[in-house]
Amino acid sequence: MSELLNVQNAKERIDRIEDILASVAAGDLDARIQSDIEDDFSGIEAAIDLLINDLTEELRQREKMQKDLENKLSKIQDQQKTILQQQEDLLELSSPVSKVWDNILILPVIGTLDSQRTQVMMENLLQKIVETGCTISILDITGVPTVDTQVANHLLKTVTAARLLGAECIISGISPAIAQTIVHLGIDLSVIRTKATLQDAMIFAMKQSKRADEMRTLSNIALTNENVD
Amino acid sequence: MLEFPYNTDCDLLGKFKIDTEYDIVTVRQVIRQYAKDMGMGIVDQTRITTAVSELFRNMYNYAGGGEVLIERGEVESHNALIVTCMDQGPGIENLELAMSDGFTSGQGMGYGLPGTKRLVDRFEIQSVLNEGTTVRIMKWK
Repeated sequence: MSELLNVQNAKERIDRIEDILASVAAGDLDARIQSDIEDDFSGIEAAIDLLINDLTEELRQREKMQKDLENKLSKIQDQQKTILQQQEDLLELSSPVSKVWDNILILPVIGTLDSQRTQVMMENLLQKIVETGCTISILDITGVPTVDTQVANHLLKTVTAARLLGAECIISGISPAIAQTIVHLGIDLSVIRTKATLQDAMIFAMKQSKRADEMRTLSNIALTNENVD
Repeated sequence: MLEFPYNTDCDLLGKFKIDTEYDIVTVRQVIRQYAKDMGMGIVDQTRITTAVSELFRNMYNYAGGGEVLIERGEVESHNALIVTCMDQGPGIENLELAMSDGFTSGQGMGYGLPGTKRLVDRFEIQSVLNEGTTVRIMKWK
C-alpha cells in the first residue's frame, strides 16, 4: 500500500518537475520546484533549481549586454548621421562664390579638392555666372596644399565649363612649390590664365572688365553715330 | 610582391589602409609631416605629398583601395623616405604604356604614374594581372 502511494507520489513529483521545466522553457524564469519533502528526489529537484538559477543569471547578463550593444550602436549611428550632415554642410560652406566687383566673381578654394567637392564647386560657380552675368571669375587656390593630376584635371574642367558660359576664369594663388610640382608632373595648364596672387588676378580682372566697358561704350557711340548719319 | 634589393636598415614609420577618398587626404598629410620631420624643404615636401597622392588615387580608383607602408632608412648612402603602396587590384596590363605620358585607362589625365616618377628619386613598380600592383617610391633628404 505504502509502495503504491510512493509511486503515486513520485508521479506527482515528476509531473511538477515537468511543469516547472515547461514554464521555464516558456520564459517564466521565476518558476522553481522548491519542494519541502526530503527524499531521494530532493537532490534532483535542488539541482534543477540551481540550473534554472544559473540559466536565469546567464540570460539576464546576455540581455544586459545586448541592450548595451544596441545603445552603443544607436549612438554610433547618431554620430555617423552627424558626420554625414556636417560633411554636407561643409561642402556647401566651403565653396562660396561671391561677386566682388561689377563683373567679377571670386571663388576661394581651401583644403582638399576631392571629386565630390569639385562637383559642388563647379555647380556653384556656373550657377553664379548665369545668375550675375559676370564674365570674369577668379579661382583662388592659395588654400589648397596639394595639386595632383586629379585636382588639376578638375580645375581644367571647371575653367572649360565656365568658358562655355562665356566667362573667363583666372586661377590665382599657385605657390612656387606647387608650380614646380605641376611642371614635374607634366600637366599642361597653359590653356588657363594664371596669376601668382589674388591681388594680381584682381588687378588683371578689373583691367579686362574696364576694357570691355570701354569697348561697349565705343561700339555704342559708333552705333549712335551711324543712326545720326 | 616587390623584393627589397638593398641591404638597408629601415625603420617602419607607419602602416595605413586606403579605403576612402578621405584616407587619401589623411595619409598624405601624415607623409608630409614625416618629410618635414626629416628636414625636407617645402618643395620636396610638396613633391613627395603629390607623388603619394597620385599613387593613393590610383589604388582607390582602380583597385578599390590598398595598403601603404611608410619607412625611413639609409639607401645608397642617402637618407631616404620610402613609401610602398600595395593593392590587390586588377594589375596593369601594359606597364610600358602606363608609364608613358598622356596614357590613361580611365578618366584621368594620364600623367599620374610618369609624373610620380619624375617627382621622386627612385621609382619601382611591379604588377601582376589579376593579382595586384606594388609601387615603391623613395625621396632622398
